[in-house]
Amino acid sequence: MNKYTVKDYKSSAKPIWCPGCGDYGVLNSLYKAFEQLQIPPHKAAVISGIGCSGRLSGYMNTYGFNGVHGRVLPVATGVKMANLENTVIAVGGDGDGFSIGGGHIMHAARKNIDITYIVMDNGIYGLTKGQASPTTPLGIPTKTTYYGNVGTTFNPIRTLIAYKASFVARIFSANIKHSVDIIAQAIEHKGFSFINALSPCVTFRGKDQYDYFRNKSMIIPDDYDPTDEVKAFDYANNEDTLELGIIYKQNRPTYDEVLDTVRIKAKKEGVPSKLGLLHDFEV
Amino acid sequence: MARNNIVLGIAGSGGDGIITAGDLLMKAASHDGLFVFMMKSFGPQIRGGESSIRLRMSENPVATQGDKLDILVVLNWKDFPRFKLELLLEDDVVIVSDSADKFPEEDIPIEKSKMKNWYKIPMAEIAQESSGTTQSKNIVMLGIIAELFNLPKEALKEIIKIRFAKKSQEVIDSNINAINAGQNYIKNSFTKKDSLEFAYEKQTPKLVMEGNEAIAYGAMYAGLDFFAGYPITPSSEIMQWIGRFLPKYGGTIIQMEDEIASINAIIGASFAGKKSMTATSGPGISLMNEGLGLASITELPIVVINVQRGGPSTGLPTKTEQSDLMQAIWGSHGDSPKVVIAPSDVEDCFDSTVLAFYIAEKYQIPVIVLSDGFIGTRKESVDPTRFKDEHYGFKKTNQRLTPTKIELVDYKRFKYSIDGISPVSYPGIEGGEHQTAGIEHDEYGRPSSDVDVHRDMTIKRHAKFKAIKEEFNFDRFYGPDDAEIGIVAWGSTKGAVKEAVMKANASGIKVQAIIPQIIYPFLVKPFINFIKTKKNIMIVEMAYSGPFAKYLKGFIDFGKYGVKTFPYRIPGGAPFTVEEILNKIKEVAKEK
Ligand SMILES: Cc1ncc(C[n+]2csc(CCOP(=O)(O)OP(=O)(O)O)c2C)c(N)n1
Ligand code: SF4
Ligand SMILES: [Mg+2]
Repeated sequence: MNKYTVKDYKSSAKPIWCPGCGDYGVLNSLYKAFEQLQIPPHKAAVISGIGCSGRLSGYMNTYGFNGVHGRVLPVATGVKMANLENTVIAVGGDGDGFSIGGGHIMHAARKNIDITYIVMDNGIYGLTKGQASPTTPLGIPTKTTYYGNVGTTFNPIRTLIAYKASFVARIFSANIKHSVDIIAQAIEHKGFSFINALSPCVTFRGKDQYDYFRNKSMIIPDDYDPTDEVKAFDYANNEDTLELGIIYKQNRPTYDEVLDTVRIKAKKEGVPSKLGLLHDFEV
Repeated sequence: MARNNIVLGIAGSGGDGIITAGDLLMKAASHDGLFVFMMKSFGPQIRGGESSIRLRMSENPVATQGDKLDILVVLNWKDFPRFKLELLLEDDVVIVSDSADKFPEEDIPIEKSKMKNWYKIPMAEIAQESSGTTQSKNIVMLGIIAELFNLPKEALKEIIKIRFAKKSQEVIDSNINAINAGQNYIKNSFTKKDSLEFAYEKQTPKLVMEGNEAIAYGAMYAGLDFFAGYPITPSSEIMQWIGRFLPKYGGTIIQMEDEIASINAIIGASFAGKKSMTATSGPGISLMNEGLGLASITELPIVVINVQRGGPSTGLPTKTEQSDLMQAIWGSHGDSPKVVIAPSDVEDCFDSTVLAFYIAEKYQIPVIVLSDGFIGTRKESVDPTRFKDEHYGFKKTNQRLTPTKIELVDYKRFKYSIDGISPVSYPGIEGGEHQTAGIEHDEYGRPSSDVDVHRDMTIKRHAKFKAIKEEFNFDRFYGPDDAEIGIVAWGSTKGAVKEAVMKANASGIKVQAIIPQIIYPFLVKPFINFIKTKKNIMIVEMAYSGPFAKYLKGFIDFGKYGVKTFPYRIPGGAPFTVEEILNKIKEVAKEK
């Protein structure tokens, strides 16, 4: 018998997302992944950014932190490093993560902070009602690109592999079963795990976005070896297909593991008392 | 004449070893128990540029760097002009320089009348003879001035032994040789014409700290668990010092990618229940403003150190200013209460930081420690016996208020209370799960944009100020209570103000100064008591736009108490001199 079931992870707040929003799928997958892993709610913290997607932390009956736009990763880094017993999930939108917060990803990735980061990618700014995001396709009109989007579309998977994120995956919010499995693996992964969640915005990208993602995506075959960086880049570079699953994976020490070696080194040189620290100021 | 208080300056090129020489002499003085006060100054080059030190030594505690030099040592005249405004000279200054320096005398920016006592000594030559290299010129110079003015000679040799203990005996010997060579030259081949001589009784050795180090130590003392930061002058030493010691106690230090990340990381760590801090300056504190508001609305304790530098923008990275006051108090958008504390000297950097943690943890509010480059990077003597275990009762406040079992039954993270404090849980506490959010929220932490919720929550967050004002009633006063002239100043201007007040009172002008430590919330009561007896009040600050005066006038109707105010505000760069303040006091004394 499981101690925790999905309802233990649900907060009393009812989601206010538009009916049909892709974020429901991500949330449900997260509940189920938590259930699968039997994570105690009080030992989990879900950190969110600002955007429709950022509302997600409020629907979890874990500890939740909804900060400011673009800063999920620094907050999550602090929460995790403060207490390694916490399972820390960072969530946000494509604007939150790839635009305003874009500078933080490479550092969480290269430091290999042991957290899971899920970007609910709808290729639009949902909360602010339909402006272009870094993952908005070239040419399509949005509220801030009246005559069509001008900037080349950002490829998060390719970038995350280049950043040496130790776990890079993609899911589609409509495929709950697959998403639960990938999210669970990401949480279990020791190190920084990144998931790009294709999560349609029915209101500002239209219902067609479901078909678009469905037609373009493909579940990665079982015999694929995600530790092969060259193949991972091949997948990432082929922008005609959106592979679903773990695209890249690498095992390397996490930030806290390396920091522990630093602590041991520091302790070897002696651990003075508080007043003993004054020795450093003697002439 | 024998003096127990002396101010000395040394200037030269980067390669001259000015800083090393200054450091050795300062340590020698501390070793003999003297009180020291040392400032360093650099040209704009990263390495190898001109530099100067100014060192005051005294048998008694000193509050300032001393206005003017009794002794000026120049190793390279071509580098002196850059420091001419920082190294002002007494009329009877004694100048010592290297006779090998052929810089044209007429290009030296010193009045002829102050060049009466000028000794040109073949320093490089003595160095070459005694140690086979002119490199040791700086050490030879120490021997020379130690002998000339009776500076701590034996202690210098002791310090060299300590300083080079990890190096070979040869290094120690050659440095001691260089000292001896300098001394011998003065003893055997030199006739002293001036009468300046330093004399003192040895006391127990003092500690020497920079303000930044005192802040770092204060944080560790207060139980710091987590530090995240990004390097910036003049605050980096805080992170560097913490990085050496915090890991020993299992704490966490992370260099983040920028200041935005730094403040968000410490907010995250605080959310996870840890005592957290960051330190920055100028451009960095501007970047942190959004985060300060986040800490304010999420009611998470964090300590943010701002070692102010000249601004705006990149401004004056290595020079001091007090121009971030308004930003500290009112910065970040929205009604975002935070506490502002200002240390006024090196020791106070320690006290202020311990206090900052106390207030932050108890009241669940961000606390800004508003230091500046002047205090941050100067070195001062500190009496080791002042550090007591029970300081500010930090053990007692080690824990923030957490919910009881009963409170966890229907846990309200942001429960309304009289003093604005509500019990806070953190990940790991079963039953304490909740949302903490930068968006306005109700008592449970659920998002709400209801007008009445926002009103009540805003009031709750500000209620902490009232409680803080009731808890603290501390201000520093200098001078007699019945003085009619008052001075209000804050932060690093304290030293010059305090000395000027002492001098003014000694000369028969009654003046009293008040230097608050907690700047915001404004502690009205002690202030009102202060101004009641005053007629004319000077408001002293190192910020051209006069934020401090404007700030005070927002709380105090000076006119109602029949008080006339005299703002004295200068742009930053060089700290106030005692004479500047004293002259202003004299001007104000003429007012009726
Ligand atoms: C500093 C700052 N700039 C701008 C905003 C306004 N803003 C809120 S959410 C958002 C974009 C949301 O888009 P995305 O991150 O893709 O999330 P979505 O709503 O699509 O889930 C913006 C621009 C803000 N809150 N803070
Ligand atoms: S606007 Fe788009 S992203 Fe936001 S809730 Fe509605 S469908 Fe979802
Ligand atoms: Mg989006």
